[in-house]
Amino acid sequence: MPISGNALVRSTAALLLVGLLALAAIVGTTIWLVERNQVYFDQGLQARIARSATVNLRNALQNAETGQRGFLLTGEERYLEPYNDALPQIPDLLERFNTVQKSYPEAAASVAALNAGVADKLSELAETIALTRAGKRDEAMAIVETDRGKDAMDEARTLFDGIITAADDRIVTGIEDQRGSTNALRWVTIIGAFVIFVVVGGSAVTVMAYTRDIAKARADLEAANAGLEDRVRERTDDLGKANEEIQRFAYIVTHDLRAPLVNIMGFTAELEGTVGTLQAYMNGHDDGDDPRWNDARLAATEDLPEAIGFIRSSTRKMDGLINAILKISREGRRQLRPEQLDLNDVIETSTAAVHHQISENGGSVTSDVKVPRIISDKLSLEQILGNLLDNAVKYQDTARPLTIMVRAALAAGNRILIDVQDNGRGIASTDHERVFELFRRSGAQSQPGEGIGLAHVRTMVRSLGGEITLVSELGTGTTFTISLPRDLRNYVGSVQ
Amino acid sequence: MSNEAKPVTIVMIEDDEGHARLIEKNIRRAGVSNEIIPFTNGTEALAFLLGPDGSGLVNKGRQLLILLDLNLPDMTGVDILEKVKGNDHTRCAPVVVLTTTDDQREIQRCYDLGANVYITKPVNYDGFANAIKQLGLFFSVMQIPKAD
Repeated sequence: MPISGNALVRSTAALLLVGLLALAAIVGTTIWLVERNQVYFDQGLQARIARSATVNLRNALQNAETGQRGFLLTGEERYLEPYNDALPQIPDLLERFNTVQKSYPEAAASVAALNAGVADKLSELAETIALTRAGKRDEAMAIVETDRGKDAMDEARTLFDGIITAADDRIVTGIEDQRGSTNALRWVTIIGAFVIFVVVGGSAVTVMAYTRDIAKARADLEAANAGLEDRVRERTDDLGKANEEIQRFAYIVTHDLRAPLVNIMGFTAELEGTVGTLQAYMNGHDDGDDPRWNDARLAATEDLPEAIGFIRSSTRKMDGLINAILKISREGRRQLRPEQLDLNDVIETSTAAVHHQISENGGSVTSDVKVPRIISDKLSLEQILGNLLDNAVKYQDTARPLTIMVRAALAAGNRILIDVQDNGRGIASTDHERVFELFRRSGAQSQPGEGIGLAHVRTMVRSLGGEITLVSELGTGTTFTISLPRDLRNYVGSVQ
Repeated sequence: MSNEAKPVTIVMIEDDEGHARLIEKNIRRAGVSNEIIPFTNGTEALAFLLGPDGSGLVNKGRQLLILLDLNLPDMTGVDILEKVKGNDHTRCAPVVVLTTTDDQREIQRCYDLGANVYITKPVNYDGFANAIKQLGLFFSVMQIPKAD
């Protein structure tokens, strides 16, 4: 299916847009997902920190309690070591715990309660230890037995467990969120890659199809061009052959027409001789009484010579026409000799022949040759120009001096246009084509002629690969324009 | 050529009977009374000139003058000219080519093949009669051995 240029541009643009959007979506989503991942990771980290801070605080508190219990049981200072170790740490740990837990407003109540519980427990511990050191162990034991410390510790433990569980939950949730976003990232990447593959594949297919179309169109065009050249060559050959055929036809016909004409002329001459004999005899005998004699004499002396005269003039005319056709056909058969010519020289030669006749009536010939160099047949060119100039002289307007202008200029297709312009009597528009026909003449038949000049000119111009046209206005003048190939050899080469 | 000169026989090869008649009339009018054998086609003329065997022996020792038209129905006069000038026995016979063709190449070809005279038949009858008259003079020159 052929793809038009517009459709290609549209579909390619659409595909590129889709590809761009897909790429933008992938990049955007990826950045967003990575950000999300970072957040989840931070949250997880935070939760772990919170958890460890909580666990550390709990451990320290438990160590303190363990130390207190050992001391209360034994009364020995060495059992109090865990307490002594843990006690200085607890404010720091508590501080850290509080700081960490600030990020979780929902845990604020628990934290406050825990702070209170821790403070309560620490004061109970400090109180009992102080009493034991002071030797009032029973008093200390009484405090212990009130379960004040145990309750505070149990409450704190419960709170600790809650907070740790919450942290664990947050860690698990964070990991799941992270996995989810990683999955989403994977899917976005896979779908995006698929879309890009589709876009690239679609573009490639479209471009390839279009390229194939272009290649095919070019091949078709080349084939058509080659065919066209062949056809032109063929037609030119055919034309050349047809032209040759016509020339041969004209030549043969005129020859065969001549043979009977020789007889007509010959026997007319014989007849004339016989009539002469008859007349001599008639004039020598006068028998005026016999009307048949008079009729016979009239026939011999007047009717017969008159008839013979008409036959003679007609055959002479016919001979002239046949000779004209022969001349043209022979001109067509003449081998052209292309040579390098200077148009100025050719025009000079042609105008020189009519110069006398022109200047006689005060006329003038001027030329304006812009492209002097031409490769053509000299004799034909001189005859063409000579005929046109002869016509200009013959059919000049007697009311004004004749002026002839000959121009030559370059035309498209490496051709030369030669204009021969006169201010003569002009040719009626109905006769513009007719004047080029054989034996046809235009306007007043004031000059002798057979009507072959322009026909001959056209034959010669065409054999030079050219064409002749005219522009004329009755009473103003005529311009003949001859278009010739600049190099006759190209034309001759293409015909032969 | 034998010492005993024989009268020249004119062989006229012309398919147009009118032309043949006009030529004959003018020859006679020029005072030439030799025998004229007319042929209207090339085949018969060649059969006469070269004999049935085509060797030309039949015309050995005969004095012939050939008037030849180039446009014949069955062959061109050039073919006849070629054969006549290519045969040992007829080669010496003078050939006068009489035709309507005034094509220079054709004329040159006839002379190249050995034609002795080439006359174009002019439509102008006076010119034609004049040419034949001159031909008559040519005949009379040929007839000198006979007169001796």
